[in-house]
Amino acid sequence: MWQLFRKTPMWRPRPFRDRYDVVIIGGGVHGLATAYYLGRAGVRDVCVLEKSYLGSGASGRNTAIIRSNYRTPEGVSFYDESVKLYERLAADLGYNLLFSQQGHLTLAHTDSAINGLRVRAEVNQLMGVESRLIWPEEIQRLVPALDLSPRPRYPVLAALYHPPGGIIRHDAVVWAYARGADRMGIAIHPFTEAVGIGTSNGQVTSVLTSRGEIRAGVVVNATAGFCSTVAKMVGLHLPIVTHPLQAFVTEPLKPFLDKVIVSATLHVYVSQTDRGELVIGSEIDPYSSYSSRSTLPFLEATAAHTLELFPCLRRVRVLRQWAGICDMTPDYSPILGEVPGLKGFILDVGWGTYGFKAGPVAGKRIAELIATGRTPELIKPFSLTRFYDDTLVGEKAAAAVSH
Amino acid sequence: MDDQPLLGGALRTRLGRVDGPGGLAGLAGWEAARRLAAEVEGEPRIQRLQTATAFGVYEGLLLGVMQGRRLYRVRPRQLIVATGAFEHPLVFQGNDLPGVFLGTGLQRLITLDGVRPGRAAVVVTNADHGWAVAQDLLAVGVEVAAVAEARPELPPAAEALAAAGVKCFAGATIHDARGRRHVEGALLVRLDAGGDPVAGSERLIACDLIAVSTTPEPAGALLAQADGRLGYDPALDAVVPQALASSVHAAGAVTGLSDLGFALLGGRLAGLEAASALGLGGGEASRMATLRAEVEAHRARLRRGLRVRQLTSVPSVGRKRFVCLCEDVTEKDLADAVREGFDHLETLKRYTTVTMGPCQGKMCHLPAIGVTARLTGRGMAETGTTTARPPVQPVPLGVLAGPHHEPVRRTPLHARHAALGATWMDMGAWKRPLLYTSVEAEVRAVREAVGVIDVSTLGKLEVVGREAAAFLEWIHPGRVADLAVGRIRYRVMCDDAGIILDDGTTARLGEDRFFVTTGTGSLEAVGQWLEWWLAGTGRCVHVADVTSAYAAVNLAGPKCREVLARLTDLDLSPGAFPYMAVREALVGGVPALLLRIGFVGELGYEIHAPAEYGAWLWDLLLDAGREHVIRPFGVEAQRVLRLEKLHLIPGHDTDALSNPLEADMAWAVKLDKPDFIGRRLLEAARARGLRQRLVGFELLDGVVPGEGDAVVADGRPIGRVTSSKWSPTLGRGIGMAWIPPELAQEGVEIRIRSAGRLTRGRVVVRPFYDPDGARLKS
Ligand SMILES: Cc1cc2nc3c(=O)[nH]c(=O)nc-3n(C[C@H](O)[C@H](O)[C@H](O)COP(=O)(O)OP(=O)(O)OC[C@H]3O[C@@H](n4cnc5c(N)ncnc54)[C@H](O)[C@@H]3O)c2cc1C
Repeated sequence: MWQLFRKTPMWRPRPFRDRYDVVIIGGGVHGLATAYYLGRAGVRDVCVLEKSYLGSGASGRNTAIIRSNYRTPEGVSFYDESVKLYERLAADLGYNLLFSQQGHLTLAHTDSAINGLRVRAEVNQLMGVESRLIWPEEIQRLVPALDLSPRPRYPVLAALYHPPGGIIRHDAVVWAYARGADRMGIAIHPFTEAVGIGTSNGQVTSVLTSRGEIRAGVVVNATAGFCSTVAKMVGLHLPIVTHPLQAFVTEPLKPFLDKVIVSATLHVYVSQTDRGELVIGSEIDPYSSYSSRSTLPFLEATAAHTLELFPCLRRVRVLRQWAGICDMTPDYSPILGEVPGLKGFILDVGWGTYGFKAGPVAGKRIAELIATGRTPELIKPFSLTRFYDDTLVGEKAAAAVSH
Repeated sequence: MDDQPLLGGALRTRLGRVDGPGGLAGLAGWEAARRLAAEVEGEPRIQRLQTATAFGVYEGLLLGVMQGRRLYRVRPRQLIVATGAFEHPLVFQGNDLPGVFLGTGLQRLITLDGVRPGRAAVVVTNADHGWAVAQDLLAVGVEVAAVAEARPELPPAAEALAAAGVKCFAGATIHDARGRRHVEGALLVRLDAGGDPVAGSERLIACDLIAVSTTPEPAGALLAQADGRLGYDPALDAVVPQALASSVHAAGAVTGLSDLGFALLGGRLAGLEAASALGLGGGEASRMATLRAEVEAHRARLRRGLRVRQLTSVPSVGRKRFVCLCEDVTEKDLADAVREGFDHLETLKRYTTVTMGPCQGKMCHLPAIGVTARLTGRGMAETGTTTARPPVQPVPLGVLAGPHHEPVRRTPLHARHAALGATWMDMGAWKRPLLYTSVEAEVRAVREAVGVIDVSTLGKLEVVGREAAAFLEWIHPGRVADLAVGRIRYRVMCDDAGIILDDGTTARLGEDRFFVTTGTGSLEAVGQWLEWWLAGTGRCVHVADVTSAYAAVNLAGPKCREVLARLTDLDLSPGAFPYMAVREALVGGVPALLLRIGFVGELGYEIHAPAEYGAWLWDLLLDAGREHVIRPFGVEAQRVLRLEKLHLIPGHDTDALSNPLEADMAWAVKLDKPDFIGRRLLEAARARGLRQRLVGFELLDGVVPGEGDAVVADGRPIGRVTSSKWSPTLGRGIGMAWIPPELAQEGVEIRIRSAGRLTRGRVVVRPFYDPDGARLKS
């Protein structure tokens, strides 16, 4: 149905070799974007290992919200670059990604929430990102179906409006990066699991996989929810806890919502895809787990909260629910860069519930780091050392519910 | 529980006679179903839930069940799944034309709805059931123009039909459906041994109905969700349960074999096994073993008798060969996708959306596997299956949500505020008066005479026990254990990263008894925090949440002592009841706890009394204060008053990265005391120096910025305003802001960006009002 006219494989099976310059563990958006930008930077002796099919992790399970209205200047500049990369990505990759910059609204139902949104609006504007506080009258114009009456227990008082925010077809991004990397000769090995990592004298030397050993001087950990298990292979303990995150879709409806709607107070967000389905999600499950099993309490609570916002959806039916796992950091910001004391071991993790939107920027900057040996300024604030010298980049207020 | 209005399952839709055991032989299917249902209905110990769909099995065997608009959560100890099987459509050109039906669909129309579905039918099948469908069609007067049986030989059931003059073709199936808007004919072809059509064997048969009846595909999604393992069984040409989780049983067609006798036997065994697992009898081991053997023997017999020919589609071309009818995915779409490299069922599904429509693959799961297997040259088993995600049947949001109840918490004085015409605000679940009259008037009353505010929403915890003092000492970065009985101390609580969690007061009521107040919104968090650190330690400490047991008011202002004196015999003189002391006394005849503290910066008493007497006490206070023109004041006035004193509100002026050293609360951190929660990070924070500071500011220009506005320098955000108000007392705008430490000195000018414009402010580090607290202590 997509790309009717091109019938060559998106990525080809390539021989499994026993050495590469760079091994990327994880075939999600981060691993594949890194591979693609490495290729663009001329580093092409690269392979991507994925233990299952491409996009089988969070990259194939997320709700694909893309935005840059974060709270800290560091966060805003970082995600803003990603949004700009996404804007050009379909053209760069020659693939329809269905990126819909429809606009993103974060609702406030309490006065303290308004203050929190105002902080973001101010920081966003100062960093050149379109984002502003709007009030019920304008909200109603943008989202006619939203209940702005005093009926709900917590009526909507204001919203942070972020016009460049939107949604994308997540799988297409994953596949298109894979194709882009493949076209530059990079090897993509699905159904190949990394099971160990060899090091010697503070330097990474090899990756042991389910299909044999690979020698490599640079290994990228891009395994999101599983990143602690991969870090453990080199004895590294990450300040990360893995939690499930759930979502569901409804049956398709005629277009009725063309904004992404997020409410932190109600722990819910809603968007409508081009297929007409409503995609609805919430915050992480409160317990840590590697299980991607969905739960009934989540479905009930999230349905209830959705109807607080859109009572008109009462009869709309839920088609399917699912869960993915998320690598949560204490400050809701990622961990990027080479691990001090272990040359060649590079982290692209800590993506929590918000990492899909960062695939392009993280891939590009990690590739730059590998290609040049220098850590780009943009990702310096996100180094692992921030947990030792206590320079956290606090984004919880901007990322806990609105992924 | 059953999703149909009447019990009986698929049997209910069958006209043909059954040859089943148990006195059912010779009955029509629907009669047998009625007989069996009556047995269940006649048993008072069986609770029935009809028109009820079990739509998902979740962790711990939790079942979600929808019945009409009602949602049931059922947590059985033993679960028996007998959800039957589906037929699946075949893939052929024109298979979306009106007039193409599944055999079971026709049987429902005939038996349940009394409809004669067409005039002339062609039945296409690869299973015995197709022949029963043909019989049922004949029985209601539909001409059966032909039966195309994909298997190489006709089954015994064909005899009767052939005798009735029906054309029966073995080794044949449908190639395409003809017709413009409706079926007008079926083009049948013969299949060679490899399943390919034999050229020249086409035969067009006129009809207005095509009945497709295939090997049954078990409705096994619930079993999969209940941790069962499902896999493709070539002998059955179906994805069947291969292993079940403990406490889960399966019976009937869901096991892959559709046979009444087998269903009855298997159902009996499942019931007995569940009963015996529950210790409710179920028969001696030997009897069970016999039954089990009988079931196995029956299964083996059935399997031996099976004649299966895998059939999803006839290899051919055509644009209207739909695999997924919900999502309009054709065989060609799948072929293209496979050529593009989406040859794994999971990626293929995502790429083409096959199986992702409203039926969630119930209809097209097996055809999708079949087509994929052929396209990729892999076997059916290797092709695998997709995950059976809940809900098995679409469930309306309204059913899941139920009647939505978000509780509202009201203080014991709620009706009094309502009578005074208060403007309300939400604070967590609480409703609080934001304002009664005007902020100016309310602020002035407190500063000049006396005001009273309802503070019942404060979290109130009683912490008692031999080790209570030591425990609180360890929880807090400040000192608690050396607090004298009858005294109060402000407290700040940090998490293990040294971040401010909450503040409030600790009053020591006895050696082993503390009364701890928390912020309105932080009670749950603080309560959980204390329990977290107590859990499993065996410490002799008990934490009781007494929040709703007490109504509380804060009586504040220079005249408040006189007002209170009218209602109590307690000696209120500063010597007898000094600042930061706590007393228990009768106030207006009500036993009360009085805390002499002053968040708003005036002489004040926080009075806690049993909730039942709250309104009574409130009336007495207003009455006693009439002479001094006492005024109730709301949250807005309180916020102005405390801002004039530069008292921060955790969560409002602080966030998830604020520590007390930077928040100008160094007084609350005693690094010279033994270990406490958050110590390491607070030490580290002190060692590295402050990175930002929370300070007061006053505005040099007129506009009061919004809370959350940025403090800027050279066009970049360098800090943020957390609180900002017009101060009627000072006659100018004031506030609090986080700024870089080098700017945090009295008098430094800062710029605040407000609504796109810059405003000038001046840093103030000492409270604006009564900086030495003389009024508080008076
Ligand atoms: C329900 C849900 C909703 C979300 N919504 C959003 C959203 O709206 N916006 C947003 O920006 N983000 C969102 N996210 C987060 C986002 O999906 C993730 O942060 C992002 O996809 C992470 O991408 P990744 O490539 O790092 O990891 P993944 O996509 O998880 O890829 C990691 C891969 O590594 C593989 N792997 C693991 N261990 C090994 C091993 N040892 N060897 C080989 N391979 C291995 C895994 O199989 C996996 O495929 C959401 C997440 C979920 C679960």
